[in-house]
Amino acid sequence: MSAGQELMRGEGIVKRFGGIVANDEVDFVVTEGDLIGLIGPNGSGKTTLINVLTGHLMPDGGEVLVRGERVSGRPPHIYAAMGVARTFQLTQLFSRMTVMENMLVPGLTRPHSSWDEAARRARSYLEFLNLAHLEQLQAKNLSGGQQKLLELGRCLMLEPKVLFLDEPFAGVHPRLRDELIHRIEELHRDGRTFVVVDHDMESILRISRRLVVMARGSKIADGDPAAVRTDQTVIAAYAGL
Amino acid sequence: MKGLHICILLAVSALVLFFADGLSPYWMHVAIIAMYYGILAASWSLLAGYVGLFSLSHMAFASIGAYTSQLLINWYGIPIPLSMVAGIAMCCFVGGLIGWVCLRMSGPYLAIFTLGFSEIVRIAIATEDQVTAGMAGLHTDLLFPSAATRLPYFYTAFALLAVSLVLMGLLVRSRWGLFLRAIREDEQAAGASGVAVARFRILAFAIASGFAGLAGGFYAHYIPIITPSMGDLDEMAKLLVMAVIGGMELLPTAVGGAFFVEFLLEKLRDLADGGGGVHWQVPVLGIDIELHNFDQWRLPIFGVLLLLTMRFARNGLITPFWLHFMRLGEARVSPPPAVRDLPQKDPGT
Repeated sequence: MSAGQELMRGEGIVKRFGGIVANDEVDFVVTEGDLIGLIGPNGSGKTTLINVLTGHLMPDGGEVLVRGERVSGRPPHIYAAMGVARTFQLTQLFSRMTVMENMLVPGLTRPHSSWDEAARRARSYLEFLNLAHLEQLQAKNLSGGQQKLLELGRCLMLEPKVLFLDEPFAGVHPRLRDELIHRIEELHRDGRTFVVVDHDMESILRISRRLVVMARGSKIADGDPAAVRTDQTVIAAYAGL
Repeated sequence: MKGLHICILLAVSALVLFFADGLSPYWMHVAIIAMYYGILAASWSLLAGYVGLFSLSHMAFASIGAYTSQLLINWYGIPIPLSMVAGIAMCCFVGGLIGWVCLRMSGPYLAIFTLGFSEIVRIAIATEDQVTAGMAGLHTDLLFPSAATRLPYFYTAFALLAVSLVLMGLLVRSRWGLFLRAIREDEQAAGASGVAVARFRILAFAIASGFAGLAGGFYAHYIPIITPSMGDLDEMAKLLVMAVIGGMELLPTAVGGAFFVEFLLEKLRDLADGGGGVHWQVPVLGIDIELHNFDQWRLPIFGVLLLLTMRFARNGLITPFWLHFMRLGEARVSPPPAVRDLPQKDPGT
């Protein structure tokens, strides 16, 4: 586990949907400089956990703390203002708005931001993500991979402390996936903290510095990726045992 | 020349104001009513087109504005402009309240909820005849009681429409406007981007309702009597047709739709006058078509026009012309590069 300052903490997170327990007293800590891979079989509760940790779902039990402040139950924009950004499993862009407008929305929610400053930052991030030449295009006209990149760019406009990426590599062309991995690694080197959920084990193992495994709503492993991948509980969970 | 469209709009406005005196009383009345609907269509488009909140209570807010304004005059004898401001404030408050109550609703649920609210308002006004004079209608004080012509009303309606459009235009071009559009596109993503979704939804309801209250207040002091039917479903349907036919995602096109529908309705009424029937002969086929009670056919014609618009021009009939007009005087730009190109930068570098 990284030795940085604690950014986020989920304590005993419980989330039920009817009779199904999606998260069963899950503890999850994100510290500064982490690059966490969050994996698990389908239905293990990964996305639910992200939704709870980013304010999109209210936990039925437990608490979410951002830099020591209790935030569970508060709306998502409060999380965003506190430096918690996220992407979605199925890309959720402002489809009929341009690429630039997609970037400006989060940019202008920041206190004391101005149009000029937000546009300047947006251009610099679009340049970084190789989307600058598409800034006047409607987001719905981008390819799937470009949409994932734009969603990442939109997160970056919040200048977040921690980014939750939900299945960023799903359905993305291998070249764009490499591009995305490259960008995530570059941002991580610059000091950003990431939690990445995906089923693409090769990509996750390539970038993760810490691996968290979930199965049937519970956290079953948390630690160094090399150690976790040989953990018998994890192997059993993936084998469906 | 940049801003050519603004110069043209200003010139046309100046011409309209200058030559308004030449309009017949009948067509001047039609123009005033068109401007009343223009404010309503623009404010409904702000709510439905920009924020995606498909409310069916907009005309109810117009009647709340109208009745509040006149009742305050009756009870406290306050001047008309002040009572109109009070009507706007009341609409903003009730609109904000409705926005808050239906925070988690969208699409058909929101439409049904607001329709229910609209009916409650209409029935309450119709029932409480001790206060509102019920179906008999509430007699109102005129804005210009000593005016010999409708010209002062024309200028007032024009000013109110212009000011409303400028204010709404400033709103949609501001960062708030950007947030409202983001909410329309995806509320969840807007929240994740830091937009206070609930606050902006309530704000949108309050502002749009306030403009509806302004239009209602003006109507109350232009037409000397107001009735509960001012906020009924027929009126809401007419407003919806106006905004959709014009183009509900832009304020000027919604206003254009209001003018188009109102003037065409009156023109069709003209056709029907003098016997109530219309007779056409199809030249090649030699078929005679005779429509009795053509006056009753005017609204189905608009129904058909609405269906055709929804099928073939979902952005409205006026939107393409407006967008073309807005580009007047702008230098032509080269088309964007191929969209689905993969990034040119080598990922490995």
